[in-house]
Amino acid sequence: MSKGYMGKFLTINLSTSETKEIDVPQWLQEEYVGGKGYAMKLLYDLLPQGADPLGPDNPLMFFPGPLTGTLAPSMRACVATKSPLTGLLLDSYFGGHFGPEIKYAGYDGIIITGSSIKPVYLWIDDNNVEIKSAEHLWGTGTLESNRAIKKELQDDSIKVSTIGPAGENKVRFALISCEYNRQAGRGGAGAVMGSKNLKAVAIRGTHGVEVENREEFLKAVQQGYQELKDSPDVQALVDTGTASAVPFANEVGLLPRRNYQDGTFDKADNISDLGQNKDYWLRSEACAGCPVRCSKVGYIRTGRYAGTISDIVEFESAGLLGSNLEIGDAKAVTYLSALCDNLGVDTISAGSVVGFALEAAEKDIIDKEKLPAGADFGNAKAIAELLKNIVTRNGAVADILADGVKMAAEKIGQDSDDFAVHVKGLEVPAWGPRGNPGIALALMTADRGGCHQRGLPLGYELAGEPWNGKVLDRLALEGKAEIMVHEQNHLTALDTFVKCDFGNFGISLSNYLKLFSSCTGRELTEEELYNLGAKIWNMGRLFNLREGLDPAEDKLPKRFMNESLPSGPCKGHHFTDDDVKLMLKEYYQLRGWGIDGRPTEETITKYNLHQENTFSID
Amino acid sequence: MRTVIYTNFDLCTGCAICQMSCSEYKTGGTNPRLALLKVVPNADGLIHQPVTCQQCQNAFCMKVCPAEAIYRNEENGAVIINEEKCHGCGLCVKACQKDVVLLDKPAKKARKCDLCAGEPVCVKSCPTGALEIAKLGGAKDE
Repeated sequence: MSKGYMGKFLTINLSTSETKEIDVPQWLQEEYVGGKGYAMKLLYDLLPQGADPLGPDNPLMFFPGPLTGTLAPSMRACVATKSPLTGLLLDSYFGGHFGPEIKYAGYDGIIITGSSIKPVYLWIDDNNVEIKSAEHLWGTGTLESNRAIKKELQDDSIKVSTIGPAGENKVRFALISCEYNRQAGRGGAGAVMGSKNLKAVAIRGTHGVEVENREEFLKAVQQGYQELKDSPDVQALVDTGTASAVPFANEVGLLPRRNYQDGTFDKADNISDLGQNKDYWLRSEACAGCPVRCSKVGYIRTGRYAGTISDIVEFESAGLLGSNLEIGDAKAVTYLSALCDNLGVDTISAGSVVGFALEAAEKDIIDKEKLPAGADFGNAKAIAELLKNIVTRNGAVADILADGVKMAAEKIGQDSDDFAVHVKGLEVPAWGPRGNPGIALALMTADRGGCHQRGLPLGYELAGEPWNGKVLDRLALEGKAEIMVHEQNHLTALDTFVKCDFGNFGISLSNYLKLFSSCTGRELTEEELYNLGAKIWNMGRLFNLREGLDPAEDKLPKRFMNESLPSGPCKGHHFTDDDVKLMLKEYYQLRGWGIDGRPTEETITKYNLHQENTFSID
Repeated sequence: MRTVIYTNFDLCTGCAICQMSCSEYKTGGTNPRLALLKVVPNADGLIHQPVTCQQCQNAFCMKVCPAEAIYRNEENGAVIINEEKCHGCGLCVKACQKDVVLLDKPAKKARKCDLCAGEPVCVKSCPTGALEIAKLGGAKDE
């Protein structure tokens, strides 16, 4: 076993209450490295083909990476499972302190299978594992249950991940709240946890994570700190987190408004860092081992929402719960965001689902009477009620909405799919994409559905950052696929370590490789790293295809095809079938996929994806 | 005169880099739980309170040690455990009311902050200045 790794997985079968430790196979570590690599391979190997995401056969897995829990700056961990929202792969990343604690307890991953008959939580105290009753915790919010478990186990230093009522009620966009108030937000991992009757996982670990070459490693750590300091993008996050992206997105016409109908919002500044700083911020908060401190914490001092304690309302939450719902008051958006965190739903999907419902009511597709009184864009009070109804599946309409916009549109019919803004079932984040072909391609090709975190060419497309020495034309279609493949491979590879997207704004690739080699003793070249990324990306594609993905679903929501952007610098823009075809053709070609969107035999061989080695728990 | 690590809770981000650096320097492995200082979040997550050894003038750990393994460095006032004399009985761990003396169970030794020979790695590594070196006077009756 190399340093940086703990060498073991912990497996828990909630149907049989059996727990055991498994040595991480050498081939797995060599070929898939950790984090996202383990996630994709183990999903492929452990999930019985076609298994119901909310059934006992769907594994719920937590993976830190080899650099997680070390002094390497800004590292995270991931949750992996089959998404109940998309029926496809889901890897959702979280910062905070829960990921490192998995390593400190002695594990490179936790694999949970089966489902419990009664509500339980896991108590992992190094290698002592207990399945404890959570009946008294059922129904509590994410943060309330976090605190209750620490009290029960009489140790405030325990790290806990929990679900809220949303996960318990199998709301398909429920999240897992990781120590402390850091969310594995997207894709519904919380619903999978709820389907297992698993309220929480509590961990206390006493092992230290060692590195191979201490002197070189500490040098690379110092260099990482310096790179973060030297990066203006990172320093903006130090000062104002991602909230300062709100005015930027508004300026370039990407900020969703009224269920993504428009791309600008006149009250954008109110809900940005400017409004938030005035209304509640008090200090900065950081994840384990991260000097960036992009989160801001405080409480609302006065007014209807006085006393609400919240972390920063980061860009996506401000976009989807703020401008997308036409709420231009930072206090109200903060309240809604904190409500989502505590009920345990993804703010992106929640904002999108509410926007969809409000538009459907406006168009008389759903009965207004069945929504809370006054439910309309801009009415935060009614929207809060609607969110609570959705999370508890209270009433027929809320019950339908709790399954996300794709399934809701299928059930409601009446052409509501025209304004159900999702890709492959995952609601779309707060970035455009009309007027930004690169972003459109990112959303169409992201492995887990409508996601911005698998490669977002914002800098190249909007900020004049040159690509291969050339400044790009924002609206050009050609050449965007090349950037996308590069970005996806780059980020996927670094998600084996497991990096944070924001750390990646500052830390150089060469320094990530130094951190990795001095930690584990294994040298990787840049080329090997990109190949690793490509291999894992293809692994994910093979999983999705096996689970029934139709490549024709690599497409944009109808709204971005059929309706022109009403305002902003790209006013009038929308995508055509030809635009999409052209970009996808280039993309598939560069990926080594056929025109049918499937990896060719040559590609499968190139990346050694014939599944000669198979991981099994038994 | 004695040297202590003064804590500014208002600047602490809870990043635990101080603890990770401490454990790395002292044990060769990273884990905040092995560090010789603590960072305690308050119940609602609004602040983090770093807790460092105060190198007490009336040091309970020193008072209760049956092996006389704990002594004061007269130069900087640090309260130090003599590893050779310590036999790991844990009485000092219990006596410390700030919970910053640890028992290293495998080694059967008590561990506490010794100010890293004058250059504490926690202070050096803190990104925000939440930890500072402070020189204090002696007790009133000294």
